[in-house]
Amino acid sequence: MSSNIKVVTRHGNSLKDKLYLPAIYDGVKVTFKHLFDNVTDMNAIDTLEYPEEQPTDITSRYRGLHRLTHRADDTIACVACFMCATACPSNCIFIEAVDREDGVDEKMPKSFFIDTLECVFCGYCVEACPCDAIRMDTGIFSLTGNSREDFVMGKEQLLSHKGAFGEEVSCART
Amino acid sequence: MSTFSIVVAVVSLILGALLALLTIPVLVWLERRIASLIQDRLGPNRTNIFGFRLGGVVQSFADVVKLLLKEEYYPSHINMGRWLFMLAPVITFVAALLAFMVIPFADTLMINGEALRVQALPVGFSLLWYLAIGAIGVLGVIFGGWLSHNKYALLGAARAGSMVISYELALGLSALAFVVTYDSVDFNAMVQWQSGVFWGVVPAWGILVQPVAAIILIVALFAETNRNPFTVAEGESEIVAGYMTEHTAMKFAMYFMGEYVAMNTASAVIITMIFGGYQLPWVSTETMLTHFSTFALALMVAIPLVVAVLIRWMRKNNTVRPTVSTDGGRGFETKVLSIALVVMTLFLEAVLLYLGFFAENLVANTIAVALFQVAVFVVKLMLFNIFFIIIRWTVPRFRYDQVQHLGWYYLLPLSLFNLLVTAIIVVGVTS
Repeated sequence: MSSNIKVVTRHGNSLKDKLYLPAIYDGVKVTFKHLFDNVTDMNAIDTLEYPEEQPTDITSRYRGLHRLTHRADDTIACVACFMCATACPSNCIFIEAVDREDGVDEKMPKSFFIDTLECVFCGYCVEACPCDAIRMDTGIFSLTGNSREDFVMGKEQLLSHKGAFGEEVSCART
Repeated sequence: MSTFSIVVAVVSLILGALLALLTIPVLVWLERRIASLIQDRLGPNRTNIFGFRLGGVVQSFADVVKLLLKEEYYPSHINMGRWLFMLAPVITFVAALLAFMVIPFADTLMINGEALRVQALPVGFSLLWYLAIGAIGVLGVIFGGWLSHNKYALLGAARAGSMVISYELALGLSALAFVVTYDSVDFNAMVQWQSGVFWGVVPAWGILVQPVAAIILIVALFAETNRNPFTVAEGESEIVAGYMTEHTAMKFAMYFMGEYVAMNTASAVIITMIFGGYQLPWVSTETMLTHFSTFALALMVAIPLVVAVLIRWMRKNNTVRPTVSTDGGRGFETKVLSIALVVMTLFLEAVLLYLGFFAENLVANTIAVALFQVAVFVVKLMLFNIFFIIIRWTVPRFRYDQVQHLGWYYLLPLSLFNLLVTAIIVVGVTS
């Protein structure tokens, strides 16, 4: 027999193991301790009373609801290059481009819709954007509405979302 | 037939029905709450009526309303068997309910020389009734599983049937050992036997007199009620929901509730047969009646203590953490419930004071003792139900062949051997 072979001892053949009742006793001791501790002090249970208590551990890398960033002069940073719409695996970004009249840039989106019911929150649009115009750093994790239309975000709504982690304006288009 | 006998019969019938039916929502809620507390979660605690959540027990009623309003769905292929398909859950439910009816809730009342049983179904062959009616419950499972024309349901039903065959034997034989020991098939006589002591100090509870038979009885009843670790008729990982796979809405609810009634009945039987039933250890009914003023005094001390602990617990735990913006009416609920508890305590104190020290009325004393015994029974019943639940959330499931192996190779020979030893000892002692 090679010295590399490690013999693993099998458990469960002793009388104590076969009786099974001592094991149940040990198990009940553990569960009962948890039950007793939690019954005597329910508020110490480490859970979130969700709607009243909001999570505080959302990090800057969390992919929340999208937003469209601004430039320093408070105009839209997006140049309607369609990179995000192309990268989107669920095809939920709908852009219509228009010439930009104010001379800041050549193009801008006339309309910019994200269907959040289709969106899988993968963050590819953020990765694809050359202008840092779309971000998912709003920290918004809960989205509710009364109809399907409520979940289709338009340009104005996306622009109105604020970044939750300090960076307000686009880093690529100033 | 005196007025008293009619009143006692009606009251015990109502008591039996209430104890069997009202415990269902409480048990469903307890199961969920205890499971979550064991797993360091909170469980359902939000549903409320006018801010009264009672720890979340209202959730069960909401669930029943939901199940009532669900769509009645029948698989198209059951054709002619639809009436039996509908009847099957009812059989299970009713069998479990009827089996509960022979449990004595208090000692036989002796009023004006009349012996009145406090039993919903005042019969002397209670154990036989329980074994007979309790075993019918599985017929509902078999019908339901068979008629579903579904392989999972059929497998579940077949498993349930074979479980009954293999564990009914061990159950019957261990019960027989108790019958030999107590010399009776009457639950009430069993409890009276257990209210004595042996070796001078040890209460003559079945678990201490017959430990092996007691353990077999508990294990077999766990298997009978289809609870963990013996859930074979349904298994998420193997046969989906087993026999109830095709049952929806209220038909499912009937199976579901039947399971809890069966568990409640099993607890009641275990308590009655091996944990002294409605009796406290060392204190028999006669002791309480002859020393009634002492008994009343002890209760007058004990009740406020229990209520004080309860109110303290409520004030501490029926709250929310300071970080939570609103307590959702918990403070108000605590206040109202505390006042109600204090008023109830004062009322009980007054009644006990009057009965114990001013009135010399034997009938009233007998009734007071009987009510106390009902309370003891309910507390014991709930404690054992909680034990059932804790076991479910502690022990992993047995595989189906392991369950059968345990039943046939260990429990059956052990119970036979135990019966033999018991019989020899009983014959040796009595002759």
